[in-house]
Amino acid sequence: MKTFKIILILIVTTISIQGIAQEPIRLAGEELFGTMRARHIGPAVMSGRITDLAGHPTNSKIIYAGTAGGGIWKSSDGGVMFNSIFDDYNQSIGTIAIDPSDPDHIIWAGTGETWTRNSISPGDGLYKSIDGGTNWKKVGFAESDHISSIQINPNNSNEVYVGILGPLWGDSDKRGVYKTTDGGEIWEQLLAGNLSTGCSDLIMDPNNPDILYAAFWEFRRTAWSFNSGGKNSALYKSNDGGKNWNKIHNGFPEGVLGRFAFAVAPTNSNILYGVVESEDRSKCGLYRSENAGESWIHLNKDFELAVRPFYFSRIVIDPRDENVVVKCGLFGSISRDGGKTFKNLGPQHPDIHDIWFDINNSDIIFSGTDGGVYQSFNGTATFDMVDNLPLSQFYFVSVDNEEPYNVYGGLQDNGSWYGPSSSPGGVEAGDWKPIGGGDGFRAFRHPTKNIIYSEIYNGEGIYRYDLDKNIINTIQPFPEEGDPKFRYNWNTALQLSPNKPDRVYVGNQFLFRSEDMGNNWEKVSPDLSTNDLNKQGQTNSGGISVDNSGAEMNTTIYCITESPLDENLIWVGTDDGNVQITMDAGKNWTNVVSNIPDLPANTWCNHIEASNFNKGTAYAVFDGHYSNDNNPYVYKTTDFGKTWKSIATSDIENFARHIKEDYVNENILYLGTETGLYITIDGGISWVKFTNNMPSASVHYIALHPKKHDLVLATHGRGIIIIDDISPLREINQEILQKKAHFFESTPTVIWEQGSFGGNSTFTQFVGRNPNRNAKIIYYLKKRHTFGKMTIEIFNSNGELVGKADPGKKKGINIVHWDYIMKPPVVAKGKTYSRGGFSTLQLPADNYKLVMKKGKEVYESNIELIYDPNSSISLEDRKLKFDLSKKLFDLTQDLAYLVYEIDVITEYVNNIDFGNDKSSKVAKSLTSELTELKKTLVITTGDNYVQAADPELREKIGNLYSVVVGNSGKPSNTHYKNFKMHNSAFEAAIVKYDVLKKKQFSKIEKFVEKNELPSVTMKSFEEFLKQ
Amino acid sequence: MKRITLLLAFSLICLFVSAQSADEIIENYFENTGGTEAWNNITGLRYNASVNAPIGEIPLVMYNGKDGSSFVKMTLQGNEIIQIAFDGETAWGMNMMSMQAEKKDSEITENLKRAIKEFPDPFLNYKEKGFSVELLENETIEGSECFKIKLTKMPTLVDGEEVENVTYYYFDTENFVPILVEAEIKSGPAKGNIAQTFFSDYQEVDGLYFSFSFTQGLKGQPSQTITIKSVEINPEIDKSSLIFPEG
Repeated sequence: MKTFKIILILIVTTISIQGIAQEPIRLAGEELFGTMRARHIGPAVMSGRITDLAGHPTNSKIIYAGTAGGGIWKSSDGGVMFNSIFDDYNQSIGTIAIDPSDPDHIIWAGTGETWTRNSISPGDGLYKSIDGGTNWKKVGFAESDHISSIQINPNNSNEVYVGILGPLWGDSDKRGVYKTTDGGEIWEQLLAGNLSTGCSDLIMDPNNPDILYAAFWEFRRTAWSFNSGGKNSALYKSNDGGKNWNKIHNGFPEGVLGRFAFAVAPTNSNILYGVVESEDRSKCGLYRSENAGESWIHLNKDFELAVRPFYFSRIVIDPRDENVVVKCGLFGSISRDGGKTFKNLGPQHPDIHDIWFDINNSDIIFSGTDGGVYQSFNGTATFDMVDNLPLSQFYFVSVDNEEPYNVYGGLQDNGSWYGPSSSPGGVEAGDWKPIGGGDGFRAFRHPTKNIIYSEIYNGEGIYRYDLDKNIINTIQPFPEEGDPKFRYNWNTALQLSPNKPDRVYVGNQFLFRSEDMGNNWEKVSPDLSTNDLNKQGQTNSGGISVDNSGAEMNTTIYCITESPLDENLIWVGTDDGNVQITMDAGKNWTNVVSNIPDLPANTWCNHIEASNFNKGTAYAVFDGHYSNDNNPYVYKTTDFGKTWKSIATSDIENFARHIKEDYVNENILYLGTETGLYITIDGGISWVKFTNNMPSASVHYIALHPKKHDLVLATHGRGIIIIDDISPLREINQEILQKKAHFFESTPTVIWEQGSFGGNSTFTQFVGRNPNRNAKIIYYLKKRHTFGKMTIEIFNSNGELVGKADPGKKKGINIVHWDYIMKPPVVAKGKTYSRGGFSTLQLPADNYKLVMKKGKEVYESNIELIYDPNSSISLEDRKLKFDLSKKLFDLTQDLAYLVYEIDVITEYVNNIDFGNDKSSKVAKSLTSELTELKKTLVITTGDNYVQAADPELREKIGNLYSVVVGNSGKPSNTHYKNFKMHNSAFEAAIVKYDVLKKKQFSKIEKFVEKNELPSVTMKSFEEFLKQ
Repeated sequence: MKRITLLLAFSLICLFVSAQSADEIIENYFENTGGTEAWNNITGLRYNASVNAPIGEIPLVMYNGKDGSSFVKMTLQGNEIIQIAFDGETAWGMNMMSMQAEKKDSEITENLKRAIKEFPDPFLNYKEKGFSVELLENETIEGSECFKIKLTKMPTLVDGEEVENVTYYYFDTENFVPILVEAEIKSGPAKGNIAQTFFSDYQEVDGLYFSFSFTQGLKGQPSQTITIKSVEINPEIDKSSLIFPEG
């Protein structure tokens, strides 16, 4: 029966393949991108926002960190090293919970951060792992956006409660407290919120799983405002597993309340701490209950206790002492007297969101901050930063033309930085240089000068940093007589011209242009926003706690693009949904947004990309999530905005943030979305998500290096991610996709001749990976290679086999790295190793032939190696180097053969039974002299460390060989003289060996012949080399 | 009409594919690679292999026997280096500095003893070995749809503690051979990372099919390929060479 099934499968598979043979091939994900892989360069030097910490209840080595935009990271060694365990899923984490009764296996993760600043990312549901975080499965709440809490009955793994805070930007009827009794299959709503009030925290009494506390918070953001608080904000308690709930406000202030923080003491269930946000500012702050919530006493309204409740509503109680309480906050504070008084936590990155006490030692404390995870080993006096969490939250990225090129960008609460795309030993923390403080955003290198532009929020500082002179000037335009108040976006529009190196644009509600690097400014537009006064009340934003940080500034210019084909053609997009175009350098402006079909009014224009191919062509990306609309809005115009066509498809799963047009193939577009990178190779007819080592992180901005063809992504939570050399995508077409295999055209590889002594990072620091410097053999496979042999061999232009490469077998594009080195010489066998003998010589520049054998099929292509055209080494010098290297290579192998011959003869002679024949004396003399000769040729004693013997001829030749092949340029006279000396020594050894062979071994041979013994078996030199 | 035929064909494929149980997949795997009987007859496997390293191609010989005997041996500049040898009782390897044999720590030795029953394939008679399997959702690996099977073997020792021993196998749905094996690294500096081994180049040897290419590495990081030159089934082995050389 099984045989029948298999046959039937084969038949229908054949039918299926025949049926689709003529259809266009659409490849998804790694089917298209094959072995093209994203490369993460961090940095981790400033890390990024941690939203939640959770530790194993009985194993102090296991700690989980949930992050704002970088997924979940797990440490299995007490916080020394963390590994990412949630790459394939939504990277915004609200909460993590470990099942107390099965903590090695069952982990729950609620996505969607709940520290509701303007820039947070929504989640997409609740996830569960039953293998300690290796595999995850979504178990519901896909529309929850932000999950605040998960509580698990310590006596029953299947009984789980979840608090759904719900969407930040709009109404939702999904908010509330839910319960499952079957491990997550079915959920019952126990306590509903309302359209704007969700569960901001849910806590189970650690000593009684039937007692639950739930905080509900009324809140709402718009693009231009924030509201915290309302009559529906409340703290509830249930004593019966969530069936019935009662408000527990006895002692809390009357009137409108906001967000609560609260905690139950693990050592005493009657002790509760609550932090209350109240419209009565005198009643904000910390409350304590000593009767499990029946009544509360107001203890403290210190700044740290009342600060920004939407961002810092968490208090954590020492698991061993109910009088030790930590309040998360701007700097965080700790009380050791039951909440009466507090002092700041030790120095660390500000904005502390969660605390974890070690399960065995309260002096060991972890904190989760806007700048990563910190650890204190002395009860909060000092904190150390964890150095291997590359969670940096970039808003923007640009590149320069240095070699290697640098990347520039600004980050949430971590300033602006630039760093190299590669560096000796990898891209290390020390490679990154700060170029701005505060929250950083856009940053550029001047196209021709050693000058950097950067900025902080709301245009409060736009900087021009002269790196040569170490001079920083603040250059943003200020209002003049008659101007209204300037409205700069939190992420202020700052842009350079692709046509004029000294030209800079800045946008508030007006567009400003400077032709002298920001020294002087010209206003070149009217107010380009809607100037809707209803969206300009930021001084009152925040709800019951005013929060006028500037993050809600609206009706501003958000993006500026000067066409690379026409300096007078400028596009401007605003955060209130205008798309403005001028074709006369700002004299006249036209708002063309009404020409865009199916775009909701006033949708934030995130980016306009002016085409490199046609003046009238541009792409626009709109972000609707500020209106609770997560649809992608991606449009293209080919007639200067008169008409637009949507190029967003159902392939794209979330809202879009940025688009980049390829420089070479206009059908290739790169789309940054809230949950990853998408690429189209057909002008937007279909999109494919790039997932090869690319997490589902929010991609805020994309740069494409014009010379290296590297795609550089600013992720908001996983740092800078680079996809090296995307040029193979430019060749993909249906004709290629229909082939079984296809070699892509490759540009000549510049032979890498640089060296370094590496970096200086410690083992626990994150180091960004460098690009692979090897030659790239790039081909497409229609199907994964699984059965039969597959090889790649490389031949030089003389037809000689010079190398092999390990082929990639993936369906799709395969990039195989070939190290273009000569096989090392065969080295004489000694007691120890000749280190120099492991050295390898780079192959010379040549046009090499590639032969790929795949089963019985053979495919051929070429790959060219060239010398760096900027190298100071002449071809003559290269030839001198190669010639001496080759001589040393040959000498090494000749010596190896001589030692082999000595060994064979010695062993042969030693195994002959001479009896009383006089030949035995000859044999003894011969083997003795051969042994002595060998001792001069290779090391025969000692070890590979400090008991090493003095170097013999093998080691001396190997040493010279390694120096000559490792050096750049021609050998020096000392190398030639040294070679001559070794060559002479070798020739002398040969003479000696020949003499011994002729005079003594010939006598042995006669004895052998006379006694009809087997003659010696000696491999030829060629056979010996093949071994 | 063609569209209907295609849909029907696709539905049939889905029906069969979704109907696979873990045991059926494992059964198909052994049937497609030589048959259970032939697999049960294996008492030893020797792989003659090579690996491309920055210092050139390094020859490797790897052996595993039914009685637990095993070794990995490489050749450098004519010298054979025993990376690890195990005679069923004692595991040892050569120190690269002193070139002398040194015993592996007791935990490695104990874990090798526990792994003896995995030979020649952990799925062969897995129930008798006390292992368990679970079929998870299909995943696409290197462009091939795969059955994902979680294999739980006997616990291993990690830093003195018994730890669950879980490995994930990805069997190509087209031909039922594994093309990827994943497991979490439980100790050392890479602890917490996922180790991956990709398999390809399956070839027939005396009626059995073996992968002739293993590409190993940590998930998300560069990998290295071991190329198998030949596989010998039930070879003659001088087992005295696996005994730790005292003194």
